[in-house]
Amino acid sequence: MIVDVLTGGVRGGTAILYAALGETIAERAGVINLGTEGSMLTGALAAYAVTAETGSPWAGVVAGAAAGGLLALVHAVMVLGRAANQLATGLVVLFLGLGLTSMFGAAYVGRAISPFQPYPVPLLADIPWLGPIFFQHDPLVYGSYLLAPAIWWLLYRSRVGLTIRGAGERGEVLTAYGHSPQLVRYLAVVTGGLLAGVGGAHLSTAYANAWFEGMTAGRGFIAVALVIFAAWHPLRAVGGAYLFGAALALSPALQARGLGFNQFALDALPYLVTIAALVLLGRRRSNAAPEGLSRVFELTPAK
Amino acid sequence: MTDTLVRPAPEQPKIVDNRAKLWPRVVVAVLAAPVIFGAFAAAKGVDPLAMYADMVRSLADPAQAQTVLVRASVLVLAALAVAVPARAGLLNVGGEGQIVIGAVCAAGVGLVTDQRLPGPVVLTLMIVAAMVGGAAWAGIAAGLRLTVKVNEAITTLLMNFIAIDIMLLLIYDPWKDASGFGQPASRPLEDTARLPLFVPGGTLNTGIVVAGIALVAIWWLMSRTGWGFRLRVVGGNPEAARRAGLRVGTLLVTSMLVGGALAGLAGLVHFAGTEFKLRPGMTANFGYVGFLASWLALHRPLRVASAALLLAAIAMAGDSLQIDANLPAASVNVLMAMVLLVVLGFTRRSKK
Repeated sequence: MIVDVLTGGVRGGTAILYAALGETIAERAGVINLGTEGSMLTGALAAYAVTAETGSPWAGVVAGAAAGGLLALVHAVMVLGRAANQLATGLVVLFLGLGLTSMFGAAYVGRAISPFQPYPVPLLADIPWLGPIFFQHDPLVYGSYLLAPAIWWLLYRSRVGLTIRGAGERGEVLTAYGHSPQLVRYLAVVTGGLLAGVGGAHLSTAYANAWFEGMTAGRGFIAVALVIFAAWHPLRAVGGAYLFGAALALSPALQARGLGFNQFALDALPYLVTIAALVLLGRRRSNAAPEGLSRVFELTPAK
Repeated sequence: MTDTLVRPAPEQPKIVDNRAKLWPRVVVAVLAAPVIFGAFAAAKGVDPLAMYADMVRSLADPAQAQTVLVRASVLVLAALAVAVPARAGLLNVGGEGQIVIGAVCAAGVGLVTDQRLPGPVVLTLMIVAAMVGGAAWAGIAAGLRLTVKVNEAITTLLMNFIAIDIMLLLIYDPWKDASGFGQPASRPLEDTARLPLFVPGGTLNTGIVVAGIALVAIWWLMSRTGWGFRLRVVGGNPEAARRAGLRVGTLLVTSMLVGGALAGLAGLVHFAGTEFKLRPGMTANFGYVGFLASWLALHRPLRVASAALLLAAIAMAGDSLQIDANLPAASVNVLMAMVLLVVLGFTRRSKK
């Protein structure tokens, strides 16, 4: 039972994790993108459609990433090029994603694809408990194991990361060093969209193996909240994403055992957990926020 | 001598009228969005011109036009729910959840009382319940903002999903209509407790009057009272407001409570005017579209009315898309998003 829930947590959390890792980069550069939800949706559809047409889920992932990145580019142009409000634009971008996917996705509802297959890692998969939880998944899950530390290294141990964080904290400093903070932010937002697209691809070609309208069901919003919950740290996002995944996996696991727990009370759990975590981590969070992001939120001194 | 007299007059300081500069941009927005949406439709093999003709024709139909007004009245309230806190610098992305909670509270009161009390009394009780419920739901986010500094945009957004789960929890079990053929929905509200219709057999209900009253009241509050002024001061510069001795915290909370109450009222108007029972998906993104309507109107109460009408008309035209052009109704979200992108992208610049 516990193994089931945790396995489900890793499997269901992966899509959120990809999106959250991408959003961490974008927010570190000072841009919050509520359109992450839209990027996940377009990524999910593009991946599903390309997998259906070509038969290769890997081609699907590439297409999903491209679609997610393109939608994030719309957000970047609006927010960075036209100085539009980040939160409002993010929602508009989400609506754009909703509309586009419903327009072009209708043809793919109910269409069969050859999805990603689970690939148990030799030896590791046989470890009791840990084996099924971590090492009997599809390749995209393993990819996320590598991506999270890679992004941590990128942000905290590389020159590129310094530039990204610089763009989020004090753009002027970058300008003084001859970099363009705007360019860095553009790249960060688009990278965030690419990863959200991969997350969407995981959802449609490895998790649900289906496409339907609005299938992300708020996972993109959760990813955005998760970034804040994780205090903009990629490794903490991993735990948070699996917590969500586990909450999502809990209700089917309980029902399979005939435990009559109300499904909707459980469905609300991930959101409640996030709010609770935001409350508990409140103080640390506001200190850890990239300077540029605090300006977006216009954190009025709450007295 | 005469030469010096015809010197050009000293240059007058240029007065920039933002309002005059705004209009060409609105025209661009109105043109750019349909062109791009038309291109997408063409990519789907739909003739854009015929599609737009169908959309406009469908709106000219009196029944459809009534539905636009019905939707617009809910949207006006949902948009005001965003506009009031926005004046104080708060982002209320939780309209959807507050609408759901409003409808749930109204339904709860309605289900208990509608067979025992006279209709107008029930309706009044439902209005109060919906407004209190919406305000309380928004108040949670405001409270968290003030006590633990959790950003209200994130909490209101997450609470939308919780609100929807609460409604589903109720209508899948305790409030489920026993004679509803197994559908997850509550029992329909008695006829007497519904918002009265203007034309028997039509769809236009007195919700539009409720929305109109709210619109004028909020306009008056915002532009003619000290409270509205203080709210704008807080929204403009909270630090200055605090130093001027304004009670920033109280103002922030009250603005959010008023916003939540308005969203709750939107839930009531939708429930008691159109739906009559709670069912999954009943709120149809009103909260989010209202958020966008408020941004479209730059949070000015009176402009909210036209923004709501525009977005309601676009959403309504979506139904004709499904019938005439065989595109899913949600496709109009593209058109709506394009309109908003252009407006958001251009109005902000003109402020600088």
